[in-house]
Amino acid sequence: MNFEEIEEQDGTRFSWNVFPASRLDATRTVVPISCLYTPLREREDLPPIYYEPVTCKAPCRAILNPYCQIDVRGKLWICPFCLQRNAFPPHYKDISNTNLPAELLPKFTTIEYTLARASQVPPIFLFVVDTCLEDDDLKALKDSLVVSLSLLPPKALVGLITFGTMTQVHELGYSECPKSYVFRGTKEYSSKQIQEMLGLSGPGVRPAMQRPGQPGVSQNLSASRFLLPVEQCDFQLTSILEQLQRDPWPVANDKRPQRCTGVAMSVAIGLMEATYSGTGARIMLFCGGAATEGPGMVVGNELKEPIRSHHDIEKDNIKYYKRATKFYEALAKRSSTNGHIIDIFAGCLDQVGMLEMKSLVNSTGGFMILSDSFTTAIFKQSFQRVFNKDSQGNLQMGFNATLDVQTTREMRVCGLIGHAISANKKSASVAETEIGIANTSAWKMCGISPKTTVAVYFEVVSQHGQPLQPGSRGLIQFLTHYQHSSGQFRLRVTTVARNFAEGNSPQIAQSFDQEAAAVLMARIAVFKAEIDDGPDVLRWLDRMLIRLCQKFADYVKDDPSSFRLATNFSIYPQFMFHLRRSQFLQVFNNSPDETAFYRHVLNHEDVNNSLIMIQPTLMSYGFVQPPQPVLLDSISIKPDVILLLDTFFHILIFHGETIAQWRKAGYQDQEGYENFKELLEAPKADSEELLADRFPIPRYIVCDQHGSQARFLLSKLNPSTTHVSGSMYGTPQGQAIFTDDVSLQVFMEHLKK
Amino acid sequence: MAPPVPAQYNQQYTQPQQSSIAALTNQFSNMGVGGAHLIPVHLIGMPPNVKDLDDSPPKINLPPNTSVTPSDKANCDPSYKRSTLNAIPATSSLLSKSRLPLGLIITPYRSLKEGDEPVPVISDTIIARCRRCRTYINPFVTFAEGGQKWKCNMCFLSNDVPSQFDWDIQTNQQTDRWKRAELNHAVVEFVAPTEYMVRPPQPPVYLFVIDVSYPAIQSGAVATAARTILESLDRIPNEENRTKIGFITVDTSLHFYSLNSNASVPQMLVVSDLEDVFLPQPDDLLVNLTESRAVVESLLRSLGDMFKDTQIVGNALGSALLAGFKLISPIGGKIVVLQSSLPNINPGALKAREDPKALGTPKESALLQSADPFYKKFAVDCSRSQVCVDMFLLGSQYSDVATLGCCPRYTGGQTYFYPAFNAGRSEDALKFAHEFAEFLASPIALEAVMRVRASKGIRMTAFHGNFFVRQTDLLALPNVSRDHSYTIEVGIEENITTPTVCFQTAVLHTTCFGERRIRVLTLALPVTNSISELFASADQIAITTLLANKAVERSLSSKLEDARDALTNKMIDILGVYKSALTSSQSGASPQLQICDNLKLLPLLSLGLLKHVGLRASSQIPTDLRSYAMCLLTTMPSQLLIPYLHPRFYSLHNMPQEVGTYGSEGTIMPEPLNLSSEKLERHGAYLLEDGQNIFIWIGRQVSPQLCMDLLDVRSYEEIRAGKVSLPQLDNAFSQRVNAIIGKTREMRRGVYYPHLYIVKEDGDPSLRLWFLSHIIEDRTDTVMSYPQWLAHLKDKVNISFL
Ligand SMILES: [Zn+2]
Ligand SMILES: [Zn+2]
Repeated sequence: MNFEEIEEQDGTRFSWNVFPASRLDATRTVVPISCLYTPLREREDLPPIYYEPVTCKAPCRAILNPYCQIDVRGKLWICPFCLQRNAFPPHYKDISNTNLPAELLPKFTTIEYTLARASQVPPIFLFVVDTCLEDDDLKALKDSLVVSLSLLPPKALVGLITFGTMTQVHELGYSECPKSYVFRGTKEYSSKQIQEMLGLSGPGVRPAMQRPGQPGVSQNLSASRFLLPVEQCDFQLTSILEQLQRDPWPVANDKRPQRCTGVAMSVAIGLMEATYSGTGARIMLFCGGAATEGPGMVVGNELKEPIRSHHDIEKDNIKYYKRATKFYEALAKRSSTNGHIIDIFAGCLDQVGMLEMKSLVNSTGGFMILSDSFTTAIFKQSFQRVFNKDSQGNLQMGFNATLDVQTTREMRVCGLIGHAISANKKSASVAETEIGIANTSAWKMCGISPKTTVAVYFEVVSQHGQPLQPGSRGLIQFLTHYQHSSGQFRLRVTTVARNFAEGNSPQIAQSFDQEAAAVLMARIAVFKAEIDDGPDVLRWLDRMLIRLCQKFADYVKDDPSSFRLATNFSIYPQFMFHLRRSQFLQVFNNSPDETAFYRHVLNHEDVNNSLIMIQPTLMSYGFVQPPQPVLLDSISIKPDVILLLDTFFHILIFHGETIAQWRKAGYQDQEGYENFKELLEAPKADSEELLADRFPIPRYIVCDQHGSQARFLLSKLNPSTTHVSGSMYGTPQGQAIFTDDVSLQVFMEHLKK
Repeated sequence: MAPPVPAQYNQQYTQPQQSSIAALTNQFSNMGVGGAHLIPVHLIGMPPNVKDLDDSPPKINLPPNTSVTPSDKANCDPSYKRSTLNAIPATSSLLSKSRLPLGLIITPYRSLKEGDEPVPVISDTIIARCRRCRTYINPFVTFAEGGQKWKCNMCFLSNDVPSQFDWDIQTNQQTDRWKRAELNHAVVEFVAPTEYMVRPPQPPVYLFVIDVSYPAIQSGAVATAARTILESLDRIPNEENRTKIGFITVDTSLHFYSLNSNASVPQMLVVSDLEDVFLPQPDDLLVNLTESRAVVESLLRSLGDMFKDTQIVGNALGSALLAGFKLISPIGGKIVVLQSSLPNINPGALKAREDPKALGTPKESALLQSADPFYKKFAVDCSRSQVCVDMFLLGSQYSDVATLGCCPRYTGGQTYFYPAFNAGRSEDALKFAHEFAEFLASPIALEAVMRVRASKGIRMTAFHGNFFVRQTDLLALPNVSRDHSYTIEVGIEENITTPTVCFQTAVLHTTCFGERRIRVLTLALPVTNSISELFASADQIAITTLLANKAVERSLSSKLEDARDALTNKMIDILGVYKSALTSSQSGASPQLQICDNLKLLPLLSLGLLKHVGLRASSQIPTDLRSYAMCLLTTMPSQLLIPYLHPRFYSLHNMPQEVGTYGSEGTIMPEPLNLSSEKLERHGAYLLEDGQNIFIWIGRQVSPQLCMDLLDVRSYEEIRAGKVSLPQLDNAFSQRVNAIIGKTREMRRGVYYPHLYIVKEDGDPSLRLWFLSHIIEDRTDTVMSYPQWLAHLKDKVNISFL
C-alpha cells in the first residue's frame, strides 16, 4: 500500500490503514486510529461538479459516494453509514452501471461540488495596523500593505484599523477628508458599544436610511463606510496608508509605547460582527510589539518589567497572562462564530504576546507569522504569499469552512487537532474518548487553504469477540463546506474505507504508517503540552513508545541486542526521540511566543512538512561525494563539507572550517577553482528550491563553523559527541555539542531495555 | 542696574499746586458747598423729553486741586466707569434715608470708535502701588518730602516714590514727573513686569465647538458659521502669530480635526465614547493659526458640506465642552459654541421643558433658571483654567438659553441668540455672519482678574455681570469681552470723614499680543452730608442700569412679579423721599409728582424696564426670549442698555431735508419722538430701534410715492411685511433712510447687527403687537401708560409718606 498515493487522491494519511476490529484490539495498538487530512489538497484531475450532492435522509445526511450500494434498476442507493435506502432524485433516471455520475466512480472518493448558492459578498480583508513602530518598520509595513492592495481581487472589500495608544477605524467611504473613529485604548468596549460608536446601530442612526422594500440596505450602507471594494477605495486607502504616522503619543525613555492591541482587535471583530457576520473575511493584525494597555495587555509599559518567559509561566509569576488569554479566547470564539479569519503578523525582535493571542489565529484558521521586523524578507514575502493565486487567478484561500465527519457505526470520532473550534454537533459519530477538540463530529475552521491539514482521531466501538464479517470495513466521510475565494460555496467530500482485521492479524502491523503516526502523536503531545506540564507529556510519549515497541517489536526478554523492529516501524522511535527534544516540547530555549508559533505551524502542516519540523533534514555537500542526506548528528560536521539544514523554520547553510577559509580567501573567484565555486553554489540553489513554496518563509542563515550563527545548527544535532560523552562515541572530525540531552544512541538503548 | 538718583531731586519736585495740607483744609471747607443744585421738575402732565436721555451725568464736583495734575482726564470718563451717585454720602444712614441705590457701572474694555482717545500705556514697568492697600498711583495721590514720597489717597499711607519714576530708560534721561500718564489720566494701562505673571502670557486661543446635527445642517448654521470663520481668519486677533485655533464638531459623536501644518487637508477623528471623554491625539488638534492656515482654510471650506447628508438628530454638547476643556485648559482661551439643537446626551442633556401654561405665572421663574447644574459647574472649572465660553444659539426650537447661558455667565463670555435661525433667509444669514465676524474680530483681554478698591469705609457688596467671584471681591474673567459692563453695588460701612473718596478698578490681564497689562480706572467723587446734594448728583442712567441688574437678579432668585414690585417700590421710595425731604409739600398729599431735573427720566426708564421683554408681565413671552433679554440686561453698557429699554423712535415721512444726509458729525439723525402711538399718523412711516431690532412702521394711508421710494412697490397693499433687507434705491428718500439705518447699526458699541422688520399698520397682528410693545408710553393690556404710571406713583407716594 502506498501511503503517498492515497494522500494524493484523498488528502488523508492514516496511522493504521487496516483497522483493528474491536475496541480492545484498537487500544492495544497504542497509536489511535487517526488520520491527517488535507481537505483542500489540490487535485488537478478533479472534475468540476455543478450540481447539488445527493444526500441520505436526515439525520444521516451522508453524501452519495463510491462505497454506496446502488440498485440501478430500482433507482435506489443504500447509505453505508446508516443503511437506509434512498431513491435517486429524478434527474438520475438515466443511471446505469456504465453511466454513473462522477461521485460514484471509484477514482472520485474525493470530489468537490460547486453549490448553486454563491456568496453575495466578495471576500473581505480588514487590516489592523500597529503604529507604535520605528519609522523604518512603519514604512516597510505601509509599503507592503500598499502592494497587497494590488494583489487583492478588485471586488474584494477592504478596511483599515490602526492602533497605538488608541484605536482608529478609518472610514474609507468618506470623501471630504481622511476620517476615522477613535476608541480609547484602555477600555473594554462591548460589541454593542462598538457598533453604536461606529454609527452602525443605535439611536444615532436614523431609520430614514432604510428604504422601504430593501431590507438590509441600511446595514450595508453603514458598512460601506468602512469596508469598500478595493477598486473603489484604492486611491484613498493608499493615501491614508502613505500618510500614516507613528503613534503620536509621547513615550518616555524608560517606557514601552502604549499599545492597545486588545481594543483594536475587539473593535475589528465588533465591526465585522455588525456588518458581515457569516461572510468570508480575514482580519489581518500587524503588530510590532506587545499590548501594554487595556484589555488584552500582556506586559506593563515600564521597560524594567520584562515580558513573561516560560520560566515565569512555570513559576506562575504572570501578572497579565491569564486575563489576556481569556480576553483573546473570548474574541477568538466570537470571530470564529462569525466566520472571520484572524491572521497575526508580528514584526518585532521581542515578543508581541502571541502566546496570549494564539487562540485568535488557531480558532479561526488564520496565519501566524513571526518576524523580527516588517523590514525583513520573512515578513514581506510571507505576507505576499498569503495572496497567492491558483491557476484561475483566485486566491488560494477558502472562507467560512466547516468540517463534518461521519463514520460507520463500528467507529466514532474522538476529536480533531488543528485550527478549528467545535461546531458542537452531537451526532451518532461522536466518541466517548476525547482527543483534541472533542465531543462533536463537526468543526468550524473559518480559514482554510490547500495546505490546511487537520488531525482526526477515531475509536472502534465494536465489542471484542464478535465474529468479524468477511470484507467488513469501516467508512469515514469528511465533508468540507467552504466559501471559495471566487465567491462560490463548495463542498469537498472525501469518503474513505478501511478493512477491519482481527487484533493479532499481521495486516494491522503492515498497515502502519510510521510517518503519519509520528505526526499524529506529535499533535497529541503538543495538545497535551498546552494543558499539562512538560515532563508529564514526555513521560506519556515514552510510555506510548515503549508500549508500541512491546506490541510490535521482536525481542528476547532481557536481551537488548535482540531488539528488532519491522521496516515500517524502524524509524518511528527516532521521530519520537527528536520530537522529545524538539522546540514543540522543550520550550525553555524559546520564548513563549515562539513556542506558540511553532506549535501553530505544526498543527497546520501535512505529514512531510511536519516531519521536517520534528526531525530536520541535513544535506552534506563535499568534493568527494555528490550531495547526500546525512545523519542529524554532530558527526556530520566536517571541515571540508557544506551542510544544508532544513528545520522547516530555518534553512541554514553551514560552511565547514576549511570551506570557510577557502571562501574567505576568495578561491571561488579564481580561475581553476570553478569546482569550488560550484560547490558553494549547490546548497544555495537547493535552498532556493526549498524556499520556493515554503510558508511561512523560513529564516535563512548562512554561517561558518565556529561562527555565532552556527548555534542554530548545533542545537538541532544529535549530541553524539557531547562534552559528557567525550570521544567515546564521537569521531575525531565531529564537533562536541554542549548539552545535557541524551543522545539518540543512549535513548535507543534505554528503549530496548 | 538702576540709574543714580540725581542730587537736585529734592529741589526739583515741588508740586505745581498748593501743598496737600492746604488743599485738604480747603476741601473740607468746601464740603456741601460746591455741590450740585437741585432743579425740581414736575412730572405729571409733561411729556418726558426723550432727547435728554443723551444728557451727560451730573457733574462731579470735586474740591479744587483734588487731582495732582490739572489734567481734564484726571477723573474717570463715564463710558468706562460711572457711579449712580456722583457724590458719595458720608454716612450709611444718609444713603439709606435717600433710598437712592449706590453702585458702579464699569465697562473697562469699551471699544474705541473713531475719534476716541486710546488708553495711555505706561510701558516702563514702573508701577507705584501703596504698600498697605495696593492702590495704584493715580491722579488723586499727593506727593510729600519734596516728591520722594507719595501719599495714598485711599489709606493715606506714605509710600516711597520708585527710584526710576522720573527716569526715561529709553533716552536715559531725567523726565518730567508731571507728564507721567498715571498722574494725568484716570484710565491708564500699565505694562506689567514678570511679578504679575504666574506663567508666560497665554496666546489667544479659539476653539470652535460646532453642532453638526441634522437641524444645524438644515438651517445652514454650520455652512454660515464656517464661511464666516473662514472670512474672518485675517481679523481674528493674531498680531504676534501666536493665536491658536481648533475645532470640534458634535452630533451624537465628537469630531476632532487634526490640523497639522504639513497636511493639506484636515483629518477628522471621531470619538463616540462620550462616557469618559478623551482627546484622540496629543497634538495638532489645537494649532497655530498662522502655521496651519492652509489646512484650517481647507477645513472651513469643506465644513459646510462635510455633514450635508447627515441624518443624525442628537447632540452631545456636554461631552464636547468637556473635550474642549481638556484641549485648551492647559493654556486657557475661548470656547466658541455654535449650537443649533438642544443637547440631549448626558452630561448636560436638556429637555424641551418650556411649558406655555407656566408663562406669566409664578412658575415662570423656574424656567428662567438653569435646568442642569452641569453647565455652571463646568463654567466654574473653566474659570479656574482661564477658559471663556461664548454661546451662539441658533436653534429653530426651544434652546434653553437659561441653562446654556450659564457657561458665558461665569466665564466672562456672552450668549448670542438667533431664534428660528434659517440661513436660507438672507437677513438671518447676514445678521449672524455680521455679528459673528465682529465677535471674532474683537480684541479681547485674556486670563484677567478684576478688583475694585475704594476708600476706607466703603465696601463692594454685590456684583452683577458675567464673571466668577473669587475670594469675595476678586472677579475672575478668563476673557474680558469688549463692551461688557459689570455692575457693582456699593455699601457705606463707616462714616466717611474725607472730602473725597476714590474707587479704583484694576484689571490684570493679558493682551491679544501677549503683554501682561493692568488697566486701572480711577474715579474720585466728593463726599456729602446733604441729601439734596445726593439727589442732585444722582445719575439716572447709571441708576437704571443698576436697577435693571437687580431686577434680573430678583427675577431669577425669586419671581418676576417680585422684581417688578421691587422696582415700583424703589420708584415710590425715591419719589417719596424726594417729596418729603426736598419739597415744601413734604408729607401732605399733593396733586403733583416732583423730582429733580437730573432724575426726571427715571420714571420713564423704569416704566421701560417694567415693560421690557425681560420683565414684562405676560403669558406670551417665550422663556428663551426672556432669558436672552436678561443676558443682555446684565452685560450691556449703559450706552446700549438705555435704548434697549427705551427705544429710539423717529418719524421718516416728514423728516427735515438735512436728516439722513452727511453732516459734519456724520449722518444727521432725526429728532427722537416720544414712545407714544399718538405719534403714529395714518399716512406716516416711522422707524423704531432698540439696538437689537429695527422696525419700520407703515401707516395704512401712506403715500404710494413713499412706498415706491422706500420699498420699490406701488402701494401700501404691495408692501411685504416682516424681516427684510431694505432696498437701496436710486432716490434721496431711500438713501437717507438707508443712511439712518446704517448709522443706527454702527453707532453703538457691541457686535449687534439689528434685524429690520417692516410692520404694516393693519398687517400681521403678532408683528404689530411686537412693535407696539415698544411704545411704552402707551397703555398695554397689562401695564399702564406713562401718565397712568405717574399717577400711580403719585398716589403711592402720597399714601406712603402720609
Ligand atoms: Zn445515511
Ligand atoms: Zn493705601
